[in-house]
Order: sequence, then structure tokens, then C-alpha cells
Amino acid sequence: MATSVTTKIASPQVGRPEPTQRMSWRRVPGLAALMLGALLFLFPFYYMVVGALQREPKTDISGAFPNPANLTFANFADINARVDLVRTLINSGIFTGGVLLATFFIGLLAGYALAQLSFRGRSVVFNAMLLILVLPFQLFMIPLYVLIVRTYGLADSYLGMILPFAVNATAVFIFRQFFMQLPRDLFDSARIDGASELMILRRIAVPLARPAIITAMIVTFIGPWNEFLWPFLITKQHDLQPLAVALANYISTVAARAANPFGSILAGAVVLVIPAVVVFVLFQRQFIESNLGSGVKG
Amino acid sequence: MSRTWLRLGSIAAVLALLLGACADLGGGGGTGAPASGAAASGAAASGAAASGAAASGAAPSAAGTKGAIKIWYSNNKEEVTWGKAVVAAWNKDHPDEQVTGEEIPAGKSSEEVIGASITAGNTPCLIFNTAPAAVPQFEKQGGLVALDSFPDGASYIKDRTGDRADQYKFTDGKYYQMPWKTNPVMIFYNKTVFTKAGLATDNPPLKTYADFLATAKTLVAKGGVQAAIWPSPSADFYQPWFDFYPLFIAQSGGKALVEGGEPLFTTADGLAVANFWKSLYDGNLTPKEAYQGDSFADQKAAMAIVGPWAIAVYGDKVKWGAVPVPTKDGKDPKDIHTFSDEKSIGMYSSCKNLGTAWDFLKFSTSKDNDGQLLTLTGQMPMRADVVGTYPDYFTAHPEYKAFADQASRTVEVPSVPNSVEMWQTFRTAYSESVIFGKTPIEQAFKAAADKIKTLVSGN
Amino acid sequence: MAVVAVGHGGRMRRLIGRDPIGYLFIAPYVIFLAGLFAYPLLVALYISFFDFFFAAPGAHVARPFVGLDNYARALSDPVFQRSILNVAEFIIINVPLTVLLALVLASALNAKLPFRTFFRVSYYIPYVTASVAVIGVWLWLFSGGGLLNGVLGPLSPKPSWLVNELWAMPVIALVVTWKQLGFYVLLYLAALQNIPRELYEAAEVDGAGVVRRFTAITVPGVRSVTTLVVILATIVGANLFTEPYLLTGGGGPNGASMSPVLLMYREGIEQGHAGYAAAIGTVLAIAVMAISAFNRFVLERE
Repeated sequence: MATSVTTKIASPQVGRPEPTQRMSWRRVPGLAALMLGALLFLFPFYYMVVGALQREPKTDISGAFPNPANLTFANFADINARVDLVRTLINSGIFTGGVLLATFFIGLLAGYALAQLSFRGRSVVFNAMLLILVLPFQLFMIPLYVLIVRTYGLADSYLGMILPFAVNATAVFIFRQFFMQLPRDLFDSARIDGASELMILRRIAVPLARPAIITAMIVTFIGPWNEFLWPFLITKQHDLQPLAVALANYISTVAARAANPFGSILAGAVVLVIPAVVVFVLFQRQFIESNLGSGVKG
Repeated sequence: MSRTWLRLGSIAAVLALLLGACADLGGGGGTGAPASGAAASGAAASGAAASGAAASGAAPSAAGTKGAIKIWYSNNKEEVTWGKAVVAAWNKDHPDEQVTGEEIPAGKSSEEVIGASITAGNTPCLIFNTAPAAVPQFEKQGGLVALDSFPDGASYIKDRTGDRADQYKFTDGKYYQMPWKTNPVMIFYNKTVFTKAGLATDNPPLKTYADFLATAKTLVAKGGVQAAIWPSPSADFYQPWFDFYPLFIAQSGGKALVEGGEPLFTTADGLAVANFWKSLYDGNLTPKEAYQGDSFADQKAAMAIVGPWAIAVYGDKVKWGAVPVPTKDGKDPKDIHTFSDEKSIGMYSSCKNLGTAWDFLKFSTSKDNDGQLLTLTGQMPMRADVVGTYPDYFTAHPEYKAFADQASRTVEVPSVPNSVEMWQTFRTAYSESVIFGKTPIEQAFKAAADKIKTLVSGN
Repeated sequence: MAVVAVGHGGRMRRLIGRDPIGYLFIAPYVIFLAGLFAYPLLVALYISFFDFFFAAPGAHVARPFVGLDNYARALSDPVFQRSILNVAEFIIINVPLTVLLALVLASALNAKLPFRTFFRVSYYIPYVTASVAVIGVWLWLFSGGGLLNGVLGPLSPKPSWLVNELWAMPVIALVVTWKQLGFYVLLYLAALQNIPRELYEAAEVDGAGVVRRFTAITVPGVRSVTTLVVILATIVGANLFTEPYLLTGGGGPNGASMSPVLLMYREGIEQGHAGYAAAIGTVLAIAVMAISAFNRFVLERE
């Protein structure tokens, strides 16, 4: 019985319904609409790249189809002169990496406990977690700021940046939903054999959960990578700021002095966007919808 | 299950409240004693006024302490150059009192950054970009050191700046900021565009409102620009300093927005200024949308209303000239006042080595270093007689003389409690009546004046 | 088929549950929640009853207790009221649009299509990118001299989109819908896996067309996910901050795109009225919870 469960979850191709729509001429208009929609969706990104590469900003229609003579990397150089792109990218990486690690270790444990282990007070924790998802971060922000900076003394540090984001509630939710799908008997045979819970988690649960983990990690990645408000408050030193913060500040204050303000803003934007897109494209095959979906139904 | 949740939740809440009451929320016994409801607002009023004097956090018993200090300067390119030079010069001669200089962390406004820093207790000793409008708020937070506490504090400031220094005292008569530099706001005009539109470039017709409006129309029609003038229409609290306020100061002969607790912008002068700007917006001579970048430098606008720091931005891009801001019926330039756009230096209470901070403050505002500031940035140090003190500079750069001259007739933002909120209230009223024409000006201004009156009385 | 867990039975067991090791597993997360969320939340609640502002460490300042004054002020503040209306406008545009588009897209992407990976990636990508990054493009696209106005020519609204009282919020709604759609498509795609293929096949045999199959099988089949999507989208809408902050600076023309959270930020951080900001936040949170409960009730009514 354990084997059939494993198969069901690990091989994503099985169970994906293919409604009896063969490739027919009737489907061409639908396909065309989809294609148009996709292109429209991608258009802002295309425009971003075009804008970043233009020497002179052209805001009319011709700007969408750039003249090769107008293309240059100067905007990247401009913004790099005021915002150290490499340094801030590294800071973003450390910030995001820290959050990913914390979410993986703490969140996985928590998700498993919430799903598979039965103990008093379990639903309290779950409800608290749901509450966190509802409330806006800005409500906590100032008291949290005072707490972290004064009581813990973590101003201008990576830890101070990471702490509020350390465990992503959505990820915990995903882990819980996933583990709830697994029948308890899967683990009971191991328990009867005398395995400790930790070993069960490590040897059985985690390998099974690989798709859910990847999904959760991608969702978790987005938060700190794109966060510009909290690190801005916490760090006063420029060499600690992540790229999202530097870019947000660049837009509001310094851009006006560049040769091509929009161009340099978009250049910074391109640099911020590319790693996120790359990560996503690499891992999107692993996005198994079934993990997210089960448990959502009722 | 829900009962357990309630029980656990309430225990947690009570515990946390108890902890919170004693917690390090803002210092010592500072979490005010609960007053009974009716008396609360009365107590708040007198309490706030009294605490205005009491809130100065650090008693400079450490006035003599020397050691390393940290300072912030603005992120304006030229000021950064100046800052680095001054710091380097000091550090050479003071190996035991090293100064570390940094650009202020950028944000929408420096007030947010500094306010957050005060709360955290990690402000540098000196910030060379403290806006006078924010000083009351920082003082209320207990973040600033009164410079009067140094034996030569008040006298140094008065000697350097002269009579204008009085505008920078707080309601308790003390100096919580040192006036540093000013950028008197004037009207820049693009000579090339003016010529194209067939307008005179020596003595251009910009003295009265009527002339200005007519010129504006001609510029947009024949000058090849999108706008005659393009002040930012956004809703930030400091925007009035670059559209309404300079003209109001000029028109009223040197009055501030609020004087003696009374809002003055509802007078005939204030309404005249508001109506002038409204005509510009209504005639599509000024756009209602903000421009990303500098509209004057990019030649999208024929004029700009700004101070001499912008000259460094324009460089050779624009052939510019400068005249004082217009008044309704025209005045002699010698009688026109304007907004100072002044920036001060603040000394912050988290500073450990106040002695060094004060010495460095005096060093950076010495005659030589003020001269350096003038040369590198074109901004006017707040000295009593700038033209007389630096004759060589003005001989070499006659175009700056107009600004130096104007600098002796500037008016500051009123030094009152809740000043940021006051400006925000004004800006909202201005925005909805003048820029977007949703409410009649008189009505909007009157409502704002009522609210502002309460704000500045210390409530 | 219960498997009796190894261990003692009795009262102790009933008190702490079957797997007390769960406490160990959950402990780090609980500490995290308690320390970094529960505590600040309670502090925020606490200061909302005071005329509170944060001062320098060691400063002695008066912060009188004002009871419900902050709340009264918030509820009667026209700026706050406007912000609530703005967010309501946002939700009215965004939520139905999101539900409709997400479900239609998910159905379309569920089929065996050529270029399926390309489609999936292009619809998801906005979700994984930073608002800060894409704001620049949107600002440019919607600016007075931007591409959209270039295309529309004389039809473009005066004043232009983001400074137009009527259009500011809808533009924001559009941008956010574009950005968030990928996530909801994901949710729906998952739910669609659970609809048995046979239902579609049977319907097709009975002669039902594409649209009829959609409305009769797909829509009811994903009902619970629809509830979730509506609730999540409503929460996102109510907590809107980044887009109004970045796209329309100080809250747009006449506060037409001011959101409650942006107001909280402005009052709390820019103007230092922490107590008042906390009151606004609390009112908002209560409203959001009430609406979520209401949504859930309405949508899951059998």
C-alpha cells in the first residue's frame, strides 16, 4: 500500500486528466487567444528590457521596436555608479538564503507536526498561523522594529533583516496540506519498528515531500527577494542593503540625476528580475499542482 | 477546541500586556500614567507643552567628552564631495577624534529615516541635512541636543548667521539645530526657449502675475515646451515649499505660513497666490502629473522654481537666467522675500562624544569650509554677509550674486509643534482646490486653517 | 483503521495528546510566532489606546491614555473613509476578474497543448517578480507621454491615468491582477486535477459544448477553491500597500488611490503618530476578518 501512494505522488504524469480535446482546427482560435494573452502578459518585461537598453528614452510607439543604433549598456553603468549592483545582489542573496534555510528547517518540522502529530494545542497554532496570513505586515512593523533594534540590538545586520521573515507562513501551510494527504499508516509501520519521529521525518516524509518542498521554496523565495520596506528600515549602511531596497530608493531620489532616468531604473529592474525568473524557469517543471490542491478541496 | 483557544489566547494576552506595560517601549517611566477620560485631553495639552521643554533627552554633562564620531551628509553629489573633503581635513589633524562620514540612507524623505533612527537609538552625532520642518518632531522624540548647552553655543550661532538665526529657535527659545546653508528659491528661465518664443531674455516679463501668465501662454504656444513651469504636483508634505510658499512669502512681504499661532494663508495675499497657481493649472500651462527627472534640465519646461543647488544639475545643458518670484502687482527685487529652503545641522542625543561633535560642527562651518561649500556646491552658507566674505568667488561667478543677495531676504518654515502634519494638511487642501479644482479655494483653505490652528497650539 | 500508538494511556495522554513529540517539533515555530508576531501585535494593540509616539531611548515623554479616541478619529477621518472606499473599488474590480480569468486560464492550460510550458511560464512570471522592478515599466507605460496614451491618441483620458481620480485605482487593480494571477491559476490547476475525466467525456457524448461543460462541470467542481481564491484576493486587496506607494506616491490625486495600509504607514512612520496608525491597523484587521468570515459563509452555503 505504501508503494502505491509513493507512485501516485512521485510520478506527476499519472492522474493528469486529458480531456478529450485532440489537436483540431476548432481549437485554433482558442490557442490564438491564449497566445495573445501570453504575449500581452509578457509585454511589460519585454518593454523593461528594451527600455533598459535604450540610450534615449522614447515613449512613443516606436520605442517598442527599438532602433538597433539606439541600444547601449550605458544605463547599467549609470545605475551601477550609484548603486553597487553586485554587492546589493549578494545582500539580496544572503537575505533570501537565510529565509529559505529557516523556513526549510523550522517550517518543515512545523508542517509535519501540524499534519501528522496529534497533540493538544495543535489547532491553536494553526489558527495563529492563519491569523498571521490575514494581517498586514505594516501593523507589526514599528513595534517589531523597536523590538529588533533596541531589545535585540540587531540593527544593521543580516540577522535583523531575516528574523521577521524567517519562517514563511504560506510555506508552512503548503507543508501541512501536503503531509495531511499522507495516511498515518505510512509511518506507523516504521514507528512499530522502533524508529524515532525524527528519523521517520528524515527518511520517509521528506523524500516524499520533494515536490511540495520545491513549491514552498519558490513561494518563500519571492518574499524576501522583493521586499524593500523592512531592510530599508533596518539597515542604514549602504553596503548591507539588498537590491530591492537600493532600487526603490534610487527611483525616489537619485534617478533624476542620471542621463536617462527611466533607462537606469529599468536597468536596475532587469537585474532584480532576472535571478527570480531564472530560478522559476528552472524549477517550474517541479511545480506539481496536485500537492497544492489536495486538502484545499474542503 | 475553541474554548481552549480562547483560554490560551487570553492568558497570553494578559501576560503580554503586563510585559508590555513595563517594556522598553520608549524609555523609563515614559508610558504616561492613565488619566481619567475627561481630564485626558486637558492634561494632554498642558502635558505636551510642558514636555516640550522636558523632552530634551541627553543632558550634556558629557559636554566635554572627546572621541570618534559618526556623521551623515546628504546624497547630493556635490555635497558628498564637500563632506568627504571636510572629514578628511579634520581627520588629518585629529587622530584621536576620527570622524566617519556617510551618505544619509536614501528614502522618500530624510525625515522617515532620521525618525526611525532616533527610535532605534542609532543616529550619528551630526546630520548635515536636518530639515527645519522636522526639527520639532525630532525634539518631541527627545532626539536632539540643545546647542545652547555648550558654553559658546548660542553665541557662535548668532555671530555666524546674524539676525536670521532667530527663526531657527524652538518655542522654548533654544537652538536644536544650527542653520547651515540656504538655497533661496527663485525662478530660473531657459533663455533659448524664451528667444524662440519671441520673449526678452534680459529682464523677462515675469514680475507680475498678469505678465507671468501671459508669458507662460506664449511659451507653451511658441516655445516648443510641454509646460511653462513644472513644480511637482504630488501630495508630499514638503511640496508647498516649491510652489505656494515662496510666492506667498513674496506677496505678503515676508510672512510665514503661521505666525503667533495664527495661520496666515487665508488672507487676501494667500488667496491671490493660490488663484495664480490655479490659473496656471487651468490653462494647462502646468501639468498635473509629476515628471520623472528634472523637467527644466530636460527642456520639457521653460522655467523652474528652485534654488542654486540646481545649477550644478543644469551645467551646460541649459542656458539659464534667474529672477525673483513674481508678486501680484510687481515689486522691486530689493523688496522681494522668498523661501529659504534651508538645511540645518542637528546634533543627536544618541551621541557619545558631544565635545568632539561640537568642535567638528564649528570646524565644518568655519569661514574656510563654508567657502568650500560655496565653491563646490553653489549653495549659500548661512553667514551674515556672504558676498562680502567671499568677494573672489562672486567676481568669478557673477551669476550667483543674485542668489547671495536674495539669501539675505529669506523666510523659513514656522518652528511649531506638529509642523510636518501642518504642511501635510495644507498640501491636501491645496491639492484638492488649486491643482485638481475639486473644492473652492477659500473653503478648502479655511478648513485647513482651522485644523492647523489646533495642531500648532501643541495638541 | 486506527493504529494504537505506542505509549501510555490514561489522563496524561488525553491532556497532551497522542504524540507529545509534536511539541518539540513545533516549538521553534511557536517561539518564532510568539516572539516576532504575537508580541508586536499586542504592543500595537496596546499603543492604539494612547497618544503614542516612539521616542529616543531614555527620553522621558508624556504619552497620555486616550481610550478610544484614536479609533473614533480613524472612523471619522475622511482620508481613512476614502481609503476604505478605494480598497472596496479595488476588490470589486479585482476579485471577480481574478476568479474568472484564473479559472478560464487554468482550464485552458489543463489541456494537452502545444507550447504548454511557454504558456505556463508566461502567465506565472509576473507573480515571481518584484513590484519594485515592474513598477518602473508600468509608470512608463501609463505616464502622460507613455506608450498607452501614444496608442490611444485622442482617446486617452485627461488628466492621464495615474493622476486621474477616476482611473488611478482601476489602473492599480489592473496591475495587481496581472501580477497575482499566476498564483491563483496554480490553485485552480490543482483543483482541476480532482475532477474526473469521465464527467467531461460523458457530457461530450451527451452533446454539451465547451461552454456548457465549463459552467456545468468545471465551475461547481472547483467551488471550494473559488471560496479560497475570493478570500485570499480580498485579503490581498485590503492590505494593499506596495502598488499605491510606488505608483502613486502620496496617495494619488486627492487621495484617490490611498489605501488604508498606506495611510497607516504615512501616519505611523512619516508623521510619527504610532498610536493612531495602530488604531487604523486594528480597525482594518477586524474589518478584514469580518469580511473573510462573511465570504466564507456566503460561498459555502449549501
